[in-house]
Amino acid sequence: MKRVAVCAVAQYKCDSNIWQKRFQGMLLDVLEDIQKQTGMHFSEEGGVRSIVSASDDVFDARTISDNGMTDVLGAHYREEEKMAQESLNALGYAMSIILSGHEDVVYVAGHCKESQGESRNVCTNLSYDPFYGRAMGLDYTNVAALQARAYMEKSGLTEEQMAKVVVRARQWAEKNPYANATEQVELGDVMYSPMLCDPIRTMHAYPVSDGAVVMLLASEERAHEFTDNPVWLTGFGSCMDSYFLGDRDLASNFALKNAAERAYKMAGVKDAKKEIDLVEVMDCYAYQQPMWLEGLGLCGDGEGAKFIDEEGPAKYNVNLSGGMLAGNPIMTSGLYRMAEAVLQLKGDAGERQAADVNRAIAQSTTGGAGQFHTVVVLEK
Amino acid sequence: MAEYFGTAVEDIFNTMEERFLSEGTLDVDVTIGYNISGEGGGNWKVTIKEGTLKVEDVDGEVTDCTAILNANAETFVGVTLGKLDAGEAFSSGNIKVDGDLTVLVAVLPKAFKPFKPVIKASAIVESVEERFRPEKAEGVDIKIGYDLSGDGGGQWTVVVKDQTCTLKEVLDDDCTVIMRMEAQVFVDLNQGKLDGGTAFSSGQVKVDGDIGAAGQSASLFEKYVAEGAAEEEGEELISLKCVPSINQRYATGPTMGKWFDGLKEKKFFASKCPQCGRTLVPPREICAQCRVRCNEFVEIGPDATVTLIDVVYYASPDPLTGKIRETPYTALFMVLDGVSRDESFAHDLNPKDIDRIKPGMKVRPVWAEKRTGSYKDLLYFEIAD
Repeated sequence: MKRVAVCAVAQYKCDSNIWQKRFQGMLLDVLEDIQKQTGMHFSEEGGVRSIVSASDDVFDARTISDNGMTDVLGAHYREEEKMAQESLNALGYAMSIILSGHEDVVYVAGHCKESQGESRNVCTNLSYDPFYGRAMGLDYTNVAALQARAYMEKSGLTEEQMAKVVVRARQWAEKNPYANATEQVELGDVMYSPMLCDPIRTMHAYPVSDGAVVMLLASEERAHEFTDNPVWLTGFGSCMDSYFLGDRDLASNFALKNAAERAYKMAGVKDAKKEIDLVEVMDCYAYQQPMWLEGLGLCGDGEGAKFIDEEGPAKYNVNLSGGMLAGNPIMTSGLYRMAEAVLQLKGDAGERQAADVNRAIAQSTTGGAGQFHTVVVLEK
Repeated sequence: MAEYFGTAVEDIFNTMEERFLSEGTLDVDVTIGYNISGEGGGNWKVTIKEGTLKVEDVDGEVTDCTAILNANAETFVGVTLGKLDAGEAFSSGNIKVDGDLTVLVAVLPKAFKPFKPVIKASAIVESVEERFRPEKAEGVDIKIGYDLSGDGGGQWTVVVKDQTCTLKEVLDDDCTVIMRMEAQVFVDLNQGKLDGGTAFSSGQVKVDGDIGAAGQSASLFEKYVAEGAAEEEGEELISLKCVPSINQRYATGPTMGKWFDGLKEKKFFASKCPQCGRTLVPPREICAQCRVRCNEFVEIGPDATVTLIDVVYYASPDPLTGKIRETPYTALFMVLDGVSRDESFAHDLNPKDIDRIKPGMKVRPVWAEKRTGSYKDLLYFEIAD
């Protein structure tokens, strides 16, 4: 079977208000970073001919959000497709372009500027149906609160455990030059931070963030042109749960379990607990970290809370980037998760570098309360 | 009474009461005047106040209303029926509105169900040739007479022979069969609102001559379908109206930012590709063709040469203010002096120049007195002579 290599990744340093740049400008910086790292170019002979971008029309506030940045992407005279979904799915798409033999070199780009809109909650409110969901004021934050409550019931997750997740995220974020929220906090700061929507407190939620990521993929035959140190994409899986909240068991991890199962099967992973060395999960809210780890099969069903106290996150090198809690834009978080996993596997993670990392997973989610999940398995 | 598109002006006002949607106007308090000129025209005053409606047929020109609509009868009926384009009627001056135009746009659609023309017996009979099915008329040789009494009635003979159909506006003496009824009964039969057998047995329809021919005639014609009837048959479903909006703050970045900074000083800047040398107007970060950054800026303009002209006649909201624009307005494509090739730039044209503007003409910018770094810093371009 063909193999797909991740040759290089480039990340824009996340910030809550990148007022000085258009998103085109952010993307151009990271794209040039990739070109510098790999020598990737756009000439007809041996240049990249296929691009997959990930962005969101509502956050960008324009129709067909990729069409305003095709110049920057290098799409002129080439093939460019947009994934209107969480960015990790753009990677799945790029991967299939290479596996099918259509192209050997594809780069993936994602961007999102949450700061552009007056309120990210108003943006995510638009993802609900116009008759009931929107009218009620549902958005990703208050819908997550429903899931948080359901998961706390199921697993016994406490305020203190959630605070512990946030404190640890900030400790790692301080070591990550691309993270947004790096200010150090203590348990009490988190536990007494203002309530957003019960039980989610201000510090349980990821900060408003802007950012962009680019990564270069290539077939096994051509990867050596761009890197001596490729990371292999060995598994990909995704799964959608019901759109209507009332149809879902919010604490069940239905979509994530299925996505993980598909990715593990493709990668030949039989027992995640024994075969995974490093994990990046998209924890938009503190409760999601233990819940997603459960869905990925790193601890038993309903045992995520206990897993925090048993230092499970440290054992599995969970979110050494600081994770989503340290601040990535919502539509681009998956590529940030993956970028960290790639750097760790390459041995390029600097101060955050974990020892003996051979296989890592990156996970992302979109849709209120984890409606849709994507899991990627990466190997050295 | 003069009719346009089969409808009289007064039909529209006479049906207002039954088309009125009281619940849509609970917070409304307006009076709308109509001065309809030409044959069949007149003057009406429509008062909509907190869910109530008053329609008055008045003598002489209506004045002193929230909004007054002036139009000729044909335009008024045509626009009401959707046969004429409202935007065109406004921009051509066939409809003029005094007072608050937004009343017509905002209040009328929620105050009234759309006007549906009354179906007339004559319209049904007169369409008989179009509805004729020659394949069903092989060997048929009959003359069907219609004698319709009352409002909208008349007399006709439909001749079917040699697989052709002819309509005569007279009742021939030698008809195979003559059907006599009230015009409204005829309309109801054709609309499927009245059953043929019941109409006959109850005496509403009288048949002289060959009853069999009367029965046979039905299969010779397609069913009459009034315009818009298909919509009427569908179940009326609820639709929700809302305007989703999210306040945005778009960054201009250092490149578009340079352009807007320039406008403040009455200057135009293009970015220049270091590889192919072309100028990008307005400036962009990168030359899409060469895939290189364009960090150098050159001053261009301020005068320009016109390349393309686009005169817009339909009224649409100004994207910056939401107010209905004055029409016609013009989008001018032009090449600013000093650009590398033919990279054109677009802006508005001074409305006074619309009649004179031609490709190849030189134009110059007219600046707003107060400039803040926005589209509005430039009022428009005008012919430089």
